Amino acid sequence: MATEKHDFGTTSITCHSFSADRNQLAMSQNDNEVKIFKKQGMKFQETGTLTEHGQRVTGIDWAPKSNRIVTCGADRNAYVWTVQGGKWEPLLVILRINRAATCVKWSPQENKFAVGSGARIISICYFEDQNNWWVSKHIKKPIRSTVTCLDWHPNNVLIAAGSTDFKARIFSTYIKDIEEKPSSTVWGNKMTFQSLMAEFSNGAGGWVHAVSFSPGGDKLAWVGHDSSISIADAANGNRLSVVKGNFLPFVDITFVTENSLVAVGYDCCPKLFSLKAGELHFVNDLDIPDEKEQMTKSAMMRFKDLDRKATTDDTTVDLRTQHQNTITQVSIYAGDKSNCSKFSTTGVDGNLIIWDLKGLERSMAGLKIV
Amino acid sequence: MSATLKPYLNAIRATLQATMCLQNFDSQLVERHNKPEVEVKGSKELLLTPVTISRNEKEKVLIEGSVNSLRISIAVKQADEIEKILCHKFMRFMMMRAENFVVLRRKPVETYDISFLITNFHTEQMYKHKLVDFIIHFMEEIDKEISEMKLAVNSRARLSAEEFLKRF
Amino acid sequence: MILLEINNRIVEEALTLKIKNAKEGAKPDSIDITVADFDGVLFHISNQNGEKTKVMVSISLKFFKDLQEHGADELLKREYGSLLVPTEDGYNASVVVDLENIPSNWEETVKKIGLLKRNCFASVFEKYFEFQAKGEGGHKRAVIHYRDDETMYVDAQKDRVTVIFSTIFKDDDDIIIGKVFMQEFKEGRRKYQQAPQVLFSHKDPPQELQNTDARVGDNIGYITFVLFPRHTSAGARDNTINLIHTLRDYLHYHIKCSKAYIHSRMRAKTSDFLKVLNRARPEQKDKEKKTITGKTFRQT
Repeated sequence: MATEKHDFGTTSITCHSFSADRNQLAMSQNDNEVKIFKKQGMKFQETGTLTEHGQRVTGIDWAPKSNRIVTCGADRNAYVWTVQGGKWEPLLVILRINRAATCVKWSPQENKFAVGSGARIISICYFEDQNNWWVSKHIKKPIRSTVTCLDWHPNNVLIAAGSTDFKARIFSTYIKDIEEKPSSTVWGNKMTFQSLMAEFSNGAGGWVHAVSFSPGGDKLAWVGHDSSISIADAANGNRLSVVKGNFLPFVDITFVTENSLVAVGYDCCPKLFSLKAGELHFVNDLDIPDEKEQMTKSAMMRFKDLDRKATTDDTTVDLRTQHQNTITQVSIYAGDKSNCSKFSTTGVDGNLIIWDLKGLERSMAGLKIV
Repeated sequence: MSATLKPYLNAIRATLQATMCLQNFDSQLVERHNKPEVEVKGSKELLLTPVTISRNEKEKVLIEGSVNSLRISIAVKQADEIEKILCHKFMRFMMMRAENFVVLRRKPVETYDISFLITNFHTEQMYKHKLVDFIIHFMEEIDKEISEMKLAVNSRARLSAEEFLKRF
Repeated sequence: MILLEINNRIVEEALTLKIKNAKEGAKPDSIDITVADFDGVLFHISNQNGEKTKVMVSISLKFFKDLQEHGADELLKREYGSLLVPTEDGYNASVVVDLENIPSNWEETVKKIGLLKRNCFASVFEKYFEFQAKGEGGHKRAVIHYRDDETMYVDAQKDRVTVIFSTIFKDDDDIIIGKVFMQEFKEGRRKYQQAPQVLFSHKDPPQELQNTDARVGDNIGYITFVLFPRHTSAGARDNTINLIHTLRDYLHYHIKCSKAYIHSRMRAKTSDFLKVLNRARPEQKDKEKKTITGKTFRQT
């Protein structure tokens, strides 16, 4: 079995994040709570709930090294949760935003995190020792609409952000109070806070749903609502490669090797893309449906269906993919961006699926992950 | 199914599938609000270009998309007065039961007979591919139902007229 | 029941019951029933002067005055003769059945009393049919305000009698459904040549009523019957009256029936649509339920 499926009911999963050892899972089921699960055997058992947000939780990130969870929500707040005496204790972060927060990401060194928001602002938060709290600095210009997604560059300074103004941008988050002056990258060398390093659009464009830096940090991939995947290669003079297909838009994307990406979205099926000679190609669907066995129904169910839905013919209900509704998030489960062996997806259908990429590569003819 | 109905419905189905890609989206204009952008129309960049699909002059569909909601408005075929009132009656009847229908808008968009408003909350609770099926099924059935009702009124009228005149 | 009954069934049944009881020798008891009929007609069945053996049936028609001008009184006298008694207060005509003296043909009498309303109407028709039979044209047109806002006109010419009803459609939709019906009346005549010509006009009164105070309006319809001698001849006369005076109610009754039918269809279809929409809802998986004793079980 190349996949591992966990069913969390019918409510949609807004976002999820695993702990470093992958034994614990934090996720939000489309409400104002974050639930912590612990893996016991093959199943996830709920072990705790983080209740501090007043409105829907929109982002969760579990820092692997420092074992802290940061969450943000539509109530415009973010909390950093730390384990104290076996319990998760919240610490409010003043984001100074007046619209909903949309996404949150720890920086690779975990000394900063970034929060995107509907206030057209990215808040870069860092811990101020003398005051013993988190302070935030804003990146405003030239964002013209809600920030929908973020991804950190491995150098801990640059951050990529996508927005509903159809653009993907790279900003510097260099905060001189807490870190060394960064060395220059392919994206540029003037790195004062808030300076715009790059701005991309793939022409007509659509709302940018997700951005992802390549493991080396030289390439930036993003997906838009116009069903496109775009990739810009800074090492090659910001060479742009765009794939548009007849699939539905993607919602999330991540690099799985230096040259391969997995994209998920409204098609309910993860798709693999690869970069060959600077051009992006669609490689394969990663969810090859098996023939579904015909389930026999009890007489009671038949009549129930007849009453409720005026049909007993239920074969059309299920999609043939593993996820039955939009996939909203993909994250690396085992390995890292440069060599991912397993990745996890969650979706609106309430399922968490862990995909064995290496296993899929072995079992699928013609699937070669480069 | 007549020859022009199928491509018409296919075009609607494809458009709906593409438009039904919705996400939860909090208002960027009003603090702590979360409203269907297609209704609020507050931020231009969050709206998709509206699409009109016409089968003929009278039968057409307007699909308006946005980041977190979509509106589909249907103009139903009304060949004569009686079809017009039947259609009007039927739509009013359904709209009065809009809360049961969840996706039904209480008022149709101007110049259309009935509108559906589908938000991200609906697509979270229901399978979006089945929602598309529902709209298509609705469109298939509504024409049929109206012409059958018209037939029923006509045959009743004929019968009662004949019965009356026969007696003279 | 596609045609309306011209008699009043409740009145008939009440009387029949009384008489049967009396014939079986049961003790008569008091009666007091008020019955409504079409066109705002009221029947009152009671005991005359409180005597339990005297059952009195009174009828009230709002437009009795109009009818009196056309000989309603004479016609009632002709039809009911000795049954007529001084009219009860607030009513237009009263008849009495004496339970102590039941005529042998009581069934006929009961039937006749059931037709009180029809007979009141009949007076005006008979009068104008008579005019026509005699070849007298040019009489003043009869105007009967048989309902509030609705009027009937009867006019005799040498070769024909025209009867025009004006009727109000309370609901806009009724006009359109009414038009469908009237269209069928027109078409139906081709099949039944013996039937009178039926004309329908909407909003404006027909030519015959031009320059009168006939109402004009969006929700008004006019139904015109052109009756030829074969309809007004002595033999066909009664049948014609029976049919014509119920036409307005007949039309409205069927319009309402159509609407009721449409409504029930819409209801069915709407619940059908709801079921189709339900197909989009995911089924709750593995829901644990509790029985009344507190045990939990899983439904599969």
